[in-house]
Amino acid sequence: MPPKRTHMNVWGAKVIDNFTQIQTRLEAMPHLLRLGRLFSETVLIEIDGQEIYLTFENGRIVSVVEGPSRKTPWRFALRTDSEALRKFWQARPEPGFHDVFGLVKIGRGRIDGDILSLVKNLRFFKEVLGLARAREEVAA
Amino acid sequence: MSIEPITGRYVTVTIEGAPHRIYFEEAGQGRPVICLHTAGADTRQWRHLMNDAEITTSNRLVAFDMPWHGKSLPPEGFETQEYLLTTEAYIETVLAVIDGLGLNRPVLAGCSMGGRIALQLAALHPEKFSGFIAIEASDFQPAWYDIDWFHRPDAHGGEMGAALVSANISPYAPDAERWNTLWMFMQSGPGVFRGDLSFYTKDDSLIPRLPTIDTKQTPVHIIVGAYDLTCTPEDAERTAKAIPGATLAVMDELGHFPMSEHPEGFRPFFAEALEKMPPVPAKAA
Repeated sequence: MPPKRTHMNVWGAKVIDNFTQIQTRLEAMPHLLRLGRLFSETVLIEIDGQEIYLTFENGRIVSVVEGPSRKTPWRFALRTDSEALRKFWQARPEPGFHDVFGLVKIGRGRIDGDILSLVKNLRFFKEVLGLARAREEVAA
Repeated sequence: MSIEPITGRYVTVTIEGAPHRIYFEEAGQGRPVICLHTAGADTRQWRHLMNDAEITTSNRLVAFDMPWHGKSLPPEGFETQEYLLTTEAYIETVLAVIDGLGLNRPVLAGCSMGGRIALQLAALHPEKFSGFIAIEASDFQPAWYDIDWFHRPDAHGGEMGAALVSANISPYAPDAERWNTLWMFMQSGPGVFRGDLSFYTKDDSLIPRLPTIDTKQTPVHIIVGAYDLTCTPEDAERTAKAIPGATLAVMDELGHFPMSEHPEGFRPFFAEALEKMPPVPAKAA
């Protein structure tokens, strides 16, 4: 069955590209590879109901796979919407959109599964997800 | 080479019947201002203001590490105790330190749990102070996380705590100060952040006391950062409305640790707050 894209707008269709960009940028971040060296899990990112599976091995993202899938086990999931993620990836997001737990706090995100696994690797995961953040304005 | 004007010493005070060796720092002269750090951190959060000559020319800033925090040791026998801060012990600690240091009706400036206890003291012991600057302070918030995450044998509580509280730092904060702020949480002793959060997220006794605060005698000024997820501007506004005569300032580009995460951004808000406080300490009642 082909991936459902009924809820995804033009920007949403590019989300998968952002995650492959994260995968590439992570390879150039030695401190993140060191922080994540014990993290070998699959994480489900669900955006507007569309599934993306990120599989980590020893801190590296070894695959970025679009769902849906009923047979891919995952450790924890971040469920959000494309507009929230677009704001999250701005250089200076507005309050609430500046952090994964911020999305949860303002009701634009939900974390399911083994939350403790996320918390134990929270700095790593947050910084990995932030690798798609717009960078040109950050240095200002 | 530059040597900062901050000096640090120790004072031993009795809290809950036991001697506690408290580390404190001070800088400046004039009106005394006692400064309280947030949960899971220490006096270093105040170092920028203590190094600010325009602030310290007429204000004597004094900050101390709570027991179990920074360079203040936990009490003897701590190895078998579970650290759980209470409103009562926190109040006793602040009063013991200002008495031990001989401070005459200082202004009290506290952030986060320090702001919470500032409002408790404004309600219960106003005669000991001349005014209150309550930063990232509100009546009550239940935890939006599990405080037990931060004290467990299979993970580093400090690293997890720092990763959590980074959610409360503004994206406008300079990177160097963001990480200096987080370092304090990473260094926090085992179970200390959890024990602070226990006080902060479970004791709602302040709510009915807020309307009893007499801001004609002791002004209350609340400051809150828009990027604070723990004490949001809505939380601070609700709290300010419950205190007759309290004033409120919202900082659009700051978070939960303003004096530490973004000193330059916070400075004008703190200077404004000091302007609202009585200029010299009145005689003790």
